[in-house]
Amino acid sequence: MIDVVQNTLDGVMIGSSYALLALGFTLIFGVMRRLNLSYGPTIMLGAYLGTLLYVQGGAGPATVAAATVLGAAVVGVYVERLCFAPMAAGAGIASMVSSFAIWMQLEQAAILILPRHTYAFPPLTTAAPLTLGPFLVRLDHAAMLAAAAALAAAVHLVLHRTRFGLGLRAIVGNATAAHLVGIDVRLSTLAAFALASAVGGAAGYLVLTVDQQVTPMFGMWATFKGLIAMMLGGLGSIPGALAGGLVLGVIEAQAQWYFGPQIRDFLTFAVLFLVLVVRPTGLMGEAPSADAAAPGRA
Amino acid sequence: MDDHLIGVLSNIGVMSFLALSAYLLLLTGEISFGQQAFFAIGAYAAGIRTALWGWPLFAALAWGAFAGALAAVLVGLPTLRLHKLYFAIATLAFAEMVRILFEMWRYQVSIDGELVGPNGADGFRGIRSVFESNIDPVQYLALIYGLLAATLAGFVWLERSRLGVTFRMIGQDAELAELGGIAVRRCKVLAASLAGALAGIGGGLYAHLTTYVEPRIFDVMLGVHSLAYGLIGGLGTAIGPILGVVLDIGILETVRVFAGYRMIVFGGLVAILLIWCPRGLLDEKAMHGMHMRLWPRRSFRTPPSAVETSP
Amino acid sequence: MMPALFSLTLVAFALAGREAAAQSRATADVSCQPADAALHYDCTIRLGDARSKAPLAGAAVSVGADMPSMPMAHNVRPAKATPAAEPGVYEVRLALEMHGDWALRIDVSGPLRDRVVVPLRFDDRAVHPSPSRAAPHRGH
Repeated sequence: MIDVVQNTLDGVMIGSSYALLALGFTLIFGVMRRLNLSYGPTIMLGAYLGTLLYVQGGAGPATVAAATVLGAAVVGVYVERLCFAPMAAGAGIASMVSSFAIWMQLEQAAILILPRHTYAFPPLTTAAPLTLGPFLVRLDHAAMLAAAAALAAAVHLVLHRTRFGLGLRAIVGNATAAHLVGIDVRLSTLAAFALASAVGGAAGYLVLTVDQQVTPMFGMWATFKGLIAMMLGGLGSIPGALAGGLVLGVIEAQAQWYFGPQIRDFLTFAVLFLVLVVRPTGLMGEAPSADAAAPGRA
Repeated sequence: MDDHLIGVLSNIGVMSFLALSAYLLLLTGEISFGQQAFFAIGAYAAGIRTALWGWPLFAALAWGAFAGALAAVLVGLPTLRLHKLYFAIATLAFAEMVRILFEMWRYQVSIDGELVGPNGADGFRGIRSVFESNIDPVQYLALIYGLLAATLAGFVWLERSRLGVTFRMIGQDAELAELGGIAVRRCKVLAASLAGALAGIGGGLYAHLTTYVEPRIFDVMLGVHSLAYGLIGGLGTAIGPILGVVLDIGILETVRVFAGYRMIVFGGLVAILLIWCPRGLLDEKAMHGMHMRLWPRRSFRTPPSAVETSP
Repeated sequence: MMPALFSLTLVAFALAGREAAAQSRATADVSCQPADAALHYDCTIRLGDARSKAPLAGAAVSVGADMPSMPMAHNVRPAKATPAAEPGVYEVRLALEMHGDWALRIDVSGPLRDRVVVPLRFDDRAVHPSPSRAAPHRGH
């Protein structure tokens, strides 16, 4: 029983970063109705920038964090300009494949910056874990949870208390109508991309401070986690993305404890597959409407 | 012929099967990120048959195709009614499940005092049927292209046949097709099984070409590549995906000059190409244009599916 | 009709050279060191006959490489290995495209025709056998 609760604790904390990854993914999907396969590599490139500063300049955690987030945002804008903005409305598959081509580009760029397979990443804290009764709480995990919660709240504020956020929600609801009432859809989309990539960058930073190392595999990993969490929670739903991330974290923690890392990965995909087959809209999503979720006929 | 050239041409041939597999599904309107799973199943199935059970190559390849088709039907049935995007992600999930299963699976048999067979994440080495039968690289190349030519003949027939039109109709608008009396589900399952078989043949050929496969090869990168080939080369004809493979592997070979920047150049080229031609080089419009030029007065039975992208 | 005939002929030609020969296999032992130029490695290959365990001398050996995680994307042009003084030992210099896990493809012809694949991890400081690729914690 204690194990289950401990795993749930750990799972929720790690799941908070998955939630952030899903949040970024959902922001992009919400406004574009397309999957961005470059999402993870975008974050990775930001992280590599941060790592570069750390490894060669001895930068502190704050600088690395800033570099990661800003780097991710800039790369996100690049991806948007090249893969999504120029595509006609019906060219959904083309933009997904384009984002995949850019994924390869970004991965190579990352390896050019830092050629080795593994690099150390500065941790947030090296203090000993807290003990709460029979449970262990790692301080860096707790910091991750706190930071993720703060970021999610910040994004919520942006979406619900700013004009920009209002515009985004309008676009998510119905892009054509938003355009008709005068919202600059293209500019807002670009800004949403930058915001989503920045959020992803923050999520990536948090994960890496816990892992304390970064490898070129991080890009694909981040894309997968964000995608799975988003699908679990329900495509296009922001509260769903957060819930999906936490659920994913808990599932992973339990699976890893009882069955080991390979079965953990298998179960993650099996759960995703089952959710898609049985309840594709996930925990909180809505059924895709005729004009909305379809990525177009390419 | 230069060894390296034979190797590159063989790679092109093998990957064409995978590209055609994704293309076939795309015709019926399904985006699959998971064809690499059937490629893997075909590779392991065929490899096990020759290396562990001593079957002749052809029988093993046929078995690989069958295994691919079977798996495709098994995953196709529950995902049949899924909306496009959900289907795409479901195929991705399935493919990763298959890959992880191969990472965990050990099936080794002692032959000649040595352990032969899939060894989990450490891969399946020693698929040496081609060497044991003394088939030299040129002959194997001929085998690959012979099978590919037969497959293309099948696609040419398909494009002209009622079934091919049916597939494209389903791809355009499945509900309309259903209303028109087409058994959409059955056709989709048929397309899925054919695509699975194609990927399975490709996998078997790949395993025997390289003599060594490991689960890591069959990751999502391979899957998205298979889709990308059709998108790059063009979705208007079966030559399209093959052209995509030729361009990909061909460009990769020529862009070698850029040593460490190959992917950057290549990725950029593909992204730019897709802005220009979102349905690939030989898309339906291009094919229609070619038809009109070559056979201006002939009325052809297969209407080109002209997909108008919104202005 | 014609394409079908053509393809069947190709296939027949391909299978024409088949003789089920109980051929022996080659075993390869590879050790590599980083060379002076970046991403270049000097590799020493010890070839042996799997059945007789004797060193395999006088073979024509060419070594290519590919990355398992991206098949055919980083196909390295095969380099011919030169025989060293000791019988069965060959040396080759490889020019790779990036660090990471590569599968070396050693094609042997001459007394024995075989292909041996050896996965290795190439880093800037050393080369070791690829670590067991079961997913580590968190898989990255």
